[in-house]
Amino acid sequence: MLAPVLVGVSIFCFLLIRVLPGDPILSIVPETATQADIDRTRAQYGLDRPLVEQYGAYMVGVVQGDFGNSIQTNRPIVDQIAERLPRTLELVVLGFLLALIMAIILGLFAARNAGRIGDHLARVGALVANSLPEFWLGLVLILVFFAALGIAPGPTGRISSGIDFEVITGSLIIDSIITGNMDALVSTLHHLMLPVLTLGVIVVAPMMRSVRASALQVMQSESYRCATAHGLRPNKLLYGYLLRETMVRVPTLAALVLGNLIGGSVLVEFVFSWQGFGQWALRGLLLRDYPVIQAYVLVTASFYVVAFLVADVVQAALDPRIRV
Amino acid sequence: MADKDLGDIANVTVKREGPTRRQLFELGAGLGLMLTLTPSGAFAQGKSELTIAIPADLGGWDQDYLAFDLVGLAVMKNCYPYMIEYGVKDQDGAAVMDTSNIVPVFAESWKGDAEGKVWTLKIRKGVKFPSGNELTARDVKWSKDRAFAAKANVAGVYRMIGLTEADQVQIVDDYTVQFTQAQPSDLSSHIQIISLYVFDSEELKSHATPDDPWAKEWTTKNPQSGGAYNVVDYKPGQEIVMEANPSFPSAKPRVARVKLQVIPAAANRRLLLEKGEVDIALGLSRRDINDMRNSKGIKVISSPSNEFVFMPMAMGTAPFDNPKVRQAMAHVVPYDAIVTNVYGGNARRSTSPVPLDMPGHSSKGYPFSFDIDKAKALLAEAGMSDGFESEIAILAGDVAQERAAVLVSSAARLAGIELKITPLDPGTLFQRRREKTIPLQIASGQMWVNDIEYLLATSLTPGGFLNYAGYDSPRLVEIFQVLNKTSDMATRHTLFDEVQTILARDVPWLVLAQPHFDLPVAARVSGWVQPVDGLLRLRYLDA
Repeated sequence: MLAPVLVGVSIFCFLLIRVLPGDPILSIVPETATQADIDRTRAQYGLDRPLVEQYGAYMVGVVQGDFGNSIQTNRPIVDQIAERLPRTLELVVLGFLLALIMAIILGLFAARNAGRIGDHLARVGALVANSLPEFWLGLVLILVFFAALGIAPGPTGRISSGIDFEVITGSLIIDSIITGNMDALVSTLHHLMLPVLTLGVIVVAPMMRSVRASALQVMQSESYRCATAHGLRPNKLLYGYLLRETMVRVPTLAALVLGNLIGGSVLVEFVFSWQGFGQWALRGLLLRDYPVIQAYVLVTASFYVVAFLVADVVQAALDPRIRV
Repeated sequence: MADKDLGDIANVTVKREGPTRRQLFELGAGLGLMLTLTPSGAFAQGKSELTIAIPADLGGWDQDYLAFDLVGLAVMKNCYPYMIEYGVKDQDGAAVMDTSNIVPVFAESWKGDAEGKVWTLKIRKGVKFPSGNELTARDVKWSKDRAFAAKANVAGVYRMIGLTEADQVQIVDDYTVQFTQAQPSDLSSHIQIISLYVFDSEELKSHATPDDPWAKEWTTKNPQSGGAYNVVDYKPGQEIVMEANPSFPSAKPRVARVKLQVIPAAANRRLLLEKGEVDIALGLSRRDINDMRNSKGIKVISSPSNEFVFMPMAMGTAPFDNPKVRQAMAHVVPYDAIVTNVYGGNARRSTSPVPLDMPGHSSKGYPFSFDIDKAKALLAEAGMSDGFESEIAILAGDVAQERAAVLVSSAARLAGIELKITPLDPGTLFQRRREKTIPLQIASGQMWVNDIEYLLATSLTPGGFLNYAGYDSPRLVEIFQVLNKTSDMATRHTLFDEVQTILARDVPWLVLAQPHFDLPVAARVSGWVQPVDGLLRLRYLDA
């Protein structure tokens, strides 16, 4: 599944970015450059070759783990992915988990109070959160929790200035735990607070609605009504009958949300000075840095495929009727 | 460099910033764990430390291969050893770089022969790189060999003064290097101020491989030091920490430690400055800066700048192929309104395509003022009494350009000219500029060499990379070729005068304004020197 998807995506992306107006070479040559300088620079990056030849050379490299060099920085793309991707994954995974937990709690609460004021409040609240632009929400949270209350750190990145840390995996949480660096761990979690909250709030609504709808359906099933009629305790009903059945339908939507977050966290990264994968790709897109854009699209597509694969496995584990 | 020891932590102040349990509850259970934990280790901002918010990280540390990256070039200006530099002078109460005064920094002396063709660099003895290697003539020669091999930045600039081969740079002795140009040039020292930076050749050679003899791969990833400041810590995408170089042979930097924090969002850079978390915020909009003029604890440094804002007209395309139309356009620009409304009065009215303060500048270069009647008369002479429709291209997201474009298009409408404003992203803008397919656009420039010959080479002759108008005047090209070989100042100034007479006749550009450089800083910051190239010099700052 992964290979054909990636080949298709790579061809589409390769052609599409070359159709866009904009020449990446013109953004890197100095102001004294002559046409000969421009032509020579273009040849250095192989952009003077026929498209088919360029694509073939690119894919041969990709298969060997070589995504080429950035036109803007002349650094290997692989190095930059290794530097940027863990930052975004750390942020996105935590934001996703927060949203998932909130969605389950609020969705079950809304379903069990269907038609009452609590249900309406939860649904309207989630809808409003979903409607907020993440850029705006991030700035508001910074103004409230950093500027006004002073309980959050300034939007200066992932860790306080002056705290030393060792990079092993690229995830500061994991690295600081591995190295036993508590200062780094505490500072990292503190800096994650607002961006994670921003991401979580933005994406909670669709998952909450899915949980609520699913829970309502379960609550109308014969087995659940029978259990209720037998006078089982509320906790037994919730954990024994409602939660697991409800969760069966969540993984597919959750995979979609997670994939979307990996590709769409760029504005949150920008607001919180995160310097992650999305911000790197955005700069690449603005300056037509072809290798950067191609690598970003391939990695994001891979994550979508993997996320759906994991969702299928989780769904099968939750519902034995489904076989992967 | 992320894991590099920061050294003495005795000057670290630990701050407790944790919320109360009640606040935790209010913030929601989901983030409770994170909120109970508080950070430590924020550095106290002492007198000898400055924190500067910058809009982006640099693209790489190898100046020979760096794309046009202003953040990168600014950082390198402070951490690479540059042999010579401009002096400093007072202009209207502000300190600015004096382009008529070239001073040695790492050099002991820099002298040309009587003809201005052979230049001799003598290096100070005993200057060491952070590695402990002494900076000698071998480092200069190896660095210039590397620049020629790169066939990129320096190699392109050197062409203007007749340096095209590595053999033209020769070691005379351990501390003396000679540059033999193909022709004499009045620009030699100015070009060398941009280009004469030196690598620690022994260090770089130790990272070279048969496939990478110039250690490009290592150099682009690893901070280079040995200039006024040494880079002591670099966290990619987050911060660069520099400390004053104890071996710096010129006047010592006044601030011992400088942190550059990468803060992409302008709103956050402003907020951090207002909260006292940073001392200087670079890259703020003029609106933000004006809002901050009365903020407590903040002052705005304002300095005359050589940046000029102009509107090139595509001279090869109708209707701008007609000089009468271009002259008419020069009369529809509301110059005073642009200075007042776009730049809040912090700009000077440009009076020539040759920027103010550039030697040879004459107001005869642009004898135009806002006059709709004259514009209509010129349009009638051009056979376009009914006006015409065209387009102004601007850089998307550039608020100043957008406001200037609105003012120009509104005024042009009074003369019957309809101008549609088209924001373009950088990639599209670069390409359309190269293809000369933009009829009218707003651009800004800052000549790194404050000389009309350089302006002609880059912006007003065919082949010039910044010649967005597609201007091709045979006489101007002749003058440029003569200037290229003439060092006699009287002759040069006569030619400068003629250049501006031609420009006034041909009007390749509408010259809008020369805005001041405005920088909001913490009140304790002083010592700003306005650089001619826009690349801040940290060593002059004080706090």
